Amino acid sequence: MNDERYFASVDFIDDPNVAGRGYWYECPIEDVERGDEVLAPLGRHSRLQLGVVRQTLRARDAEAPYPVYLIKSIKDVVKKRQGEYMMYKIIEKRSLNPTVTMMDIFAPLVAKKALPGQFVILRSDENGERIPLTVAGCNVKAGTVKIIFQVVGATTIKLNDMKVGDCLADFVGPLGRATETEGIKKACIVGGGVGCAIAMPVAQKLHELGCEVHSVIGFRNSDLVILEDEFKACSDRLTVVTDDGSYGRKGVVTEPLKEALEKGENYDMIIAIGPLIMMKFVVATARPFGVPVTVSMNPIMIDGTGMCGGCRLTVGGQTKFACVDGPDFNGYEVDFDEAMERGNMYSDFERHARDKACNLFKKEAE
Amino acid sequence: MAIRPNKHEMPVQDPKVRARNFGEVALGYDEKTAVAEAQRCLNCKNRPCVAGCPVNISIPEFIGKIKTGEYEEAYKIISQSSSLPAVCGRVCPQETQCEQKCTLGIKFEPVAIGRLERFVADRHNATNEGAAQVPVSNGKKVAVIGSGPSGLTCAGDLAKKGYRVTIFEALHVAGGVLVYGIPEFRLPKAIVRKEVENLKQYGVEVDTNVVIGKTLTVDELFDMGYEAVFIGSGAGLPRFMGIPGESLKGVYSANEFLTRNNLMKAYEADSDTPVMHAKRVAVVGGGNVAMDAARTALRLGADSVHVIYRRSMEEIPARREEVEHAEEEGIVFDILRNPVEILGYRNPEDRRDPKNGFVTGIKVVKCQLGEPDEKGRRRPVEVPGSEYIMDVDCVIMAIGTSPNPLIKNTTAGLEVNRRGGIVVEESTGKTSKAGVFAGGDAVTGAATVILAMGAGKTAAKAIDEYLCGSRAK
Repeated sequence: MNDERYFASVDFIDDPNVAGRGYWYECPIEDVERGDEVLAPLGRHSRLQLGVVRQTLRARDAEAPYPVYLIKSIKDVVKKRQGEYMMYKIIEKRSLNPTVTMMDIFAPLVAKKALPGQFVILRSDENGERIPLTVAGCNVKAGTVKIIFQVVGATTIKLNDMKVGDCLADFVGPLGRATETEGIKKACIVGGGVGCAIAMPVAQKLHELGCEVHSVIGFRNSDLVILEDEFKACSDRLTVVTDDGSYGRKGVVTEPLKEALEKGENYDMIIAIGPLIMMKFVVATARPFGVPVTVSMNPIMIDGTGMCGGCRLTVGGQTKFACVDGPDFNGYEVDFDEAMERGNMYSDFERHARDKACNLFKKEAE
Repeated sequence: MAIRPNKHEMPVQDPKVRARNFGEVALGYDEKTAVAEAQRCLNCKNRPCVAGCPVNISIPEFIGKIKTGEYEEAYKIISQSSSLPAVCGRVCPQETQCEQKCTLGIKFEPVAIGRLERFVADRHNATNEGAAQVPVSNGKKVAVIGSGPSGLTCAGDLAKKGYRVTIFEALHVAGGVLVYGIPEFRLPKAIVRKEVENLKQYGVEVDTNVVIGKTLTVDELFDMGYEAVFIGSGAGLPRFMGIPGESLKGVYSANEFLTRNNLMKAYEADSDTPVMHAKRVAVVGGGNVAMDAARTALRLGADSVHVIYRRSMEEIPARREEVEHAEEEGIVFDILRNPVEILGYRNPEDRRDPKNGFVTGIKVVKCQLGEPDEKGRRRPVEVPGSEYIMDVDCVIMAIGTSPNPLIKNTTAGLEVNRRGGIVVEESTGKTSKAGVFAGGDAVTGAATVILAMGAGKTAAKAIDEYLCGSRAK
């Protein structure tokens, strides 16, 4: 009968609070069967969590095992009873603005370990390039890692074309050192553009640690604003600026920062994450006030484990490797001009990739 | 029958042709040549060649089987000692190992042991598809960190003894330096894949995308039920000279340049990974890695490739065969030269000129050989005032690596030396931490494939004694 629905009872065996109980869900995925491991929303906040299907049932609304107007749905399958884990499956995908996308990727080992400031290296497909992306958050119980990326080159174009349910070819991490948060009582988080995605988990962690967090986030225009609500939730004070004034305050991030410093805000640390030019000017702004600045560097990388040396930077006159020594560095010691130059080494290649992709779009449109 | 004084020539791709493609340079013996070369072996009583081999392959025995046409038997003899015969037949420095000790070599050229090993392995891989006999499991789990030559060897030896071995590899494919470092034209990647497949047939599992020291720690491996751990994580961070200009665009470490090409296939037109197709390339260093980088640059379409080495051709550490192949292909050796600065483009009018920061040249100083250093190698001494500039648009630094810090930073109780190499007992590979063994470049710093294999083999034996010896007690 076509007015029957499919239901599954899920046991969240790894969660000591609920293990052993079965929770009924509607199951939109037809081939789910007993023994499969699935992600399903649990609790008041409906956070996804990993559980095992204990029972399935086909029933009409009236005979449903749980009131149909209250029942939640299973999100996705990550392991069939007889199979292996569907590693690096895209569980969630959301567009934050026309060029920035957020994804939750199933990678339990990474989710368990990743801390704010660390990054992963991924390949979208078998012939793909290895690219570094900073971890924007984790759900340990679901085994998922959040990434946020801007579509700039061949790989991010391909990544952006992938759908929920697809699997990435590779996803390795967490790499790099976590952002140092110890001893910080009051901090200013400065995020620029897609850098806000990296700044957000740092702000969240500081907030959780009881630190006073002031955030300044900047974008080119109102269409590109991302993560405002997330920042609001973890900041004691939030200032949003846009270059053209189409949203929030008009101007660049250094202006509110300078005002705050002039007003005598005694930050223990300024954490700046965004375009190199922005971080360079945050350092210049903070210098007269003698406030320490941590910056997060995101240079070109290949292996990300300290083998190739492609991510080298000059910090304090010494060659450092962002992948193992960073990605966070003392902003006063980083040679930003050199980093900016190195960053555009393959810009021709990236432009070429974008043009190629655009031509494909054109063909499809014709 | 008179003994043929010379080795049978190895058929190779014509230098002019191969300098523009990534196909394998040396083509391998055919059956007739292999048998004829095998006939040159005197089968002498004291078998000095076996002692010259770091993994002690029973060389006269396998050559004997080639003489009689029993190639599969020959393969079995080699695989008793070596887990990667097709690799070793290609990349071992036989001229300083087994072949150097060959009795025939006293009067004539030694037997071409390496070429014969390659013949046997290739023939096996081409004809044999049958599954290997999986040994009976002894129920003990061993973790191997890194799937390079030492890790593969250690895993293979332990699996054949019945251990359940899992290899953890940080990159997305298994093989370590065999896939990211050594180029396709010297060691086709299909051969590495095949050797890894052979190991999987013995029950070895390979977990890619796991960085030990990050994704998991050594202590967590023990918590997961592994009773012993072998660290074969390889060499690490590339060294630079510390001269001005090393951050310019167009300066690569050899590791990065080779990784882009070998692992990421940047030389293929449809690869997503970019690499500079430079026209005039300078490679700094004189080891095998420098040769690989120089010859790769040539194949990417460079008009000229110069190897800059501070000593003379006599001291050059690369294998003679690699140097000869490089010279045949048109690589220029600028010996007794040392770089002092790398020069870059800077448009004084326009700070935003996209050409800014790209390499335009390298300033080198001439050297003379002075007194021998502690290793007996003559020290290069710079000649004052002899600097000159070479026009290049790409510089590749191939001057070695320093050990990777990830494992030592996250493993309490693991002792490392001043240079960051893991300290081991040489005869067993035992580290300062119980149940943890190590070998290969992670211990010695950059060395050869076969030395790493030897270390993997030593450790496998010691791990077996450690685990099964303790059971016996």
